[in-house]
Amino acid sequence: MREENGLKLDSIEEIQRGFEASGYVCNQQIATTLYLAYHLEKPILVEGPAGVGKTELAKTASKYLGIPLIRLQCYEGLDESKALYEWKYGKQLLYTQILKDKLNDILEGTEGLAASMARLHKHDDIFFSSDFLEPRPLLKALQQEEGAVLLIDEVDKSDQEFEAFLLEILSDFQVSVPEIGTIGAITKPFVFLTSNNTREMSEALKRRCLHLFIPFPDSRLERRIIQVRVPQLSDDLRRQLVSFIQQVRGLDLKKVPSISETIDWARVLLLLHASSLSPDIIKETINIFLKFEDDIEVVREHLHDMADRAVRGL
Amino acid sequence: MEQVLQNLFDALRRSGVRISLSESMDAMRAASLVGYEQRQILKDSLSITLAKSRIEKEIFDSCFDRFFSQDGFSDPEAGPPLSQTTELSEEDSPLSRMVISGDGTGLSMSMRQAAQVVNIAGIRFFTQKNLYIHRILKGMGLEGMDRDIQRLSRQDDMSSLAKAEGLKEARDVLFEYVRAFVEQQFGLFAESATEKIIEKYLRGVRLSNLEQRDFDRMHKIIKKMVKRLNDIHSRRRKTSKKGCLDLKKTLRENVAYQGLLFEPRWKAKKIDRPDIVALSDVSRSVEAVSRFMLLFLYSLNEAVARIRSFIFCSNLVEVSHVFEEYQVEEALERIQSGTGLGIQLGRTDYGQAFRDFKEDGLGQVTNKTTVIVLGDARNNHGDPQTDLLKLIQKRSKRIIWLNPEPPSFWGIGDSEMKKYMPYCYLVKECSTVRHLERVVDSLLI
Repeated sequence: MREENGLKLDSIEEIQRGFEASGYVCNQQIATTLYLAYHLEKPILVEGPAGVGKTELAKTASKYLGIPLIRLQCYEGLDESKALYEWKYGKQLLYTQILKDKLNDILEGTEGLAASMARLHKHDDIFFSSDFLEPRPLLKALQQEEGAVLLIDEVDKSDQEFEAFLLEILSDFQVSVPEIGTIGAITKPFVFLTSNNTREMSEALKRRCLHLFIPFPDSRLERRIIQVRVPQLSDDLRRQLVSFIQQVRGLDLKKVPSISETIDWARVLLLLHASSLSPDIIKETINIFLKFEDDIEVVREHLHDMADRAVRGL
Repeated sequence: MEQVLQNLFDALRRSGVRISLSESMDAMRAASLVGYEQRQILKDSLSITLAKSRIEKEIFDSCFDRFFSQDGFSDPEAGPPLSQTTELSEEDSPLSRMVISGDGTGLSMSMRQAAQVVNIAGIRFFTQKNLYIHRILKGMGLEGMDRDIQRLSRQDDMSSLAKAEGLKEARDVLFEYVRAFVEQQFGLFAESATEKIIEKYLRGVRLSNLEQRDFDRMHKIIKKMVKRLNDIHSRRRKTSKKGCLDLKKTLRENVAYQGLLFEPRWKAKKIDRPDIVALSDVSRSVEAVSRFMLLFLYSLNEAVARIRSFIFCSNLVEVSHVFEEYQVEEALERIQSGTGLGIQLGRTDYGQAFRDFKEDGLGQVTNKTTVIVLGDARNNHGDPQTDLLKLIQKRSKRIIWLNPEPPSFWGIGDSEMKKYMPYCYLVKECSTVRHLERVVDSLLI
C-alpha cells in the first residue's frame, strides 16, 4: 500500500474519523481491526448477520484509501478459472494461425527433426506467457501497482476446495500458475472476506485471517449511523425510529431488520415528510424493513405498544 | 509482558479456544503494536487475532476479564487496614513495612511475583488451593511478618502491642486477598472451572448439555461421512470417457498441433455432492433415541446441499423445510410434536411409509441417491412390503439402514430387520455418536 495510505491508517482514531467522513460509522473494534490488518498485513474475515455493513466496510475502505475495489462474489461451483486466471484461447489460436508462415523462417537451416525441435524449444513458452493470460479478480488484485482492496464476498457460499485454494493468496499474497510459475503481489492488497455463517469456515482459513464479528449495533451507534447516512432526518424522529427498530429486533422474527433496512426506512420517512412515528405511518411503511408476511403479523400485534414506547423515548 | 500473554493463551486454550502458534505470534505482534495502555483496544486486538468464532469470542471475553481483573491490593479503596499511628522501625520485615505503609501496588507485585515462582498456572484441583495460598504467602515473606508479630507482642509498651494487634489483623486481610487471588487463578487455569463457562454458554441453548456436545461432535463426523460419500461418487465418475466436448480444453491441448483438433478432450460432469434421502422413524418404540436420530438428521441437512428428509410413523411426511427454516432446538420440537406436519403418530407402519415414499419421493431418487433409513424396523406385525424396499433399492444407489437396536434383537418379535436386510447396502446398529463414528468408518470400503 502507498505511503499516504500508511498515514491514513496511522492510528485507530484517525481511521475512525476518516471512515466516518466517508460515510461509515465504525466503532473502536472495527477501527482496531483495520489498523491491525494494515500493520500485520493480514486479511480480515468479517462475520455477522446479513445487512450489518460487512460489504460496505470494504467498499468504504477502498473509497477512503483511494484505491480500486476488486470484488469476487463467491458461489457454489466457483473455480480458479473464474477467480484467478484463464488463458486467452482465441488469441492463442489466432496467433498460431498467423504465425504459421513464420515457422519456416524459424526452422530455416535446420537438418532433421531433432534439430528442428531443439530450435523450437527455444520459443516454446511464448504462447503461455503473461500476454495470453486473462487475469480474474484474484490475479488482478495482485497486479495493481497502487494496491487494491480485494473483497471476497460471501466466502461461505463457495466450495471447500475453493476455500483451500484461497489459502495461498491469503497467507503469502501470491498465486501459482503452473505454466508460468509463482506470481507475487506488486503491492499487497487489503483483503476482506465476508461470511454469513451458512457454514463454518475451515480452521486453516481462520488461522490466516483476523476475525471480526459485527453484531447488530446498539441504539447509540445506530442513531449515529442514521445521522451520517440520512442527515436530513430530524433528531426526534431518528431517536424514535431507532428505538422502534431496536424493539423489533427483540421480537421472534424470521428475518430481523438490518441496518441497511433501517436506513431505507429513514429515507422513506423523510420522503413522506413524517414528523413523528405514528402507528399509521408504521403500518403503511412496515414492508420496507420486514420482508415476510409472518413477521409483519408478529409486529402488528405489538405495534401500538412499541410505537408508544418509541415516541415516549423509553 | 510476554509471559503474561503466554499465561493468557494458556488459560484460553484450557477453556476450549483453539490457538495455534501462528495465531499467538499474531496476537503478540498486535499487542506490541497497540500497546497496553488502553484496555479495550488491547482486548479487541487480542480478540480478533485469537478468537475466531462467536462462541470463542464469548469465552475470550470472560477469560480476558477474569485474567486481567484487579486483585484486592490494587483496589485503592480497600488496602489492608492499619492504624496510621504505627511507625516503621528498622527491625520490621519487608512485608510488614509494605503493610504498614499501605503500599498496595508493592503488595500486589510481590504477590504476583510469588505466584509466578510457585507456578500458579499449574493449579489443577481445588484441593491444591490451600497449598498454593501458603506457598504464595511464604514467597511474599509471611515468616518475617510472623516474627515481627511475636517480637512485638513480647514487649510490654502499649504502642508495640497495638502494632502487633494491627499486624495480626493485616495478616488476616492479607490471607483473604491471597485466597481470593488463588481462587481467581484457579478459575482461569483449572479445567473443571473453565468447563463451567462453556456449560453455562451451552445451557443458553435449549438442547441438553449432552446433546449439545453430541451435536458438535456429530457435525464433525457427518462432515467426514459426507466426504466419504463424495469420494465414492467422484472416483467412479473420473474414469468415464463420455461427456460433451470441452472446447476450451481441446483448444488448449491442441495448440501444439497447429490448432488442428487432433486430440479432443471431454467434459465429464463431476458430482461433488452426495444426493441423500433420509427416512426417520419417530414412533414410540424409538422414543429413547429419536432425539438422537433427529439431531443426526438435522446435522445431515446442514452439511448436505441436496437432501430430502422424511419422518414416518403411521404415515410419512417430508420435513426438509422444517430443518431449513428453524434453529435446531425449535426444529426438533416442531418435529417431535408434529405441529402442522400432518403426521399421524399411531402404530408404526413401515409398509405404509414405503408406500407414501413411493408416491412422494421415489420420483426424485436416481441411481446416484443414497437412501438412509433410521428406524428399528418394528412393524407391529403389519405387512413389511419388502418389494417396495426392493424397488427403492433398484432405483437408488444404495440403502443404508441405521437401527437403534443391537443386532441380537433384529428379527425378534415384530422386528422385520432380517427381511429388510438383503436390500440394504449396509445395516448397522446406531444409537450413539460412537456408533455413528463406526458407521462412517465402515463407509470407507
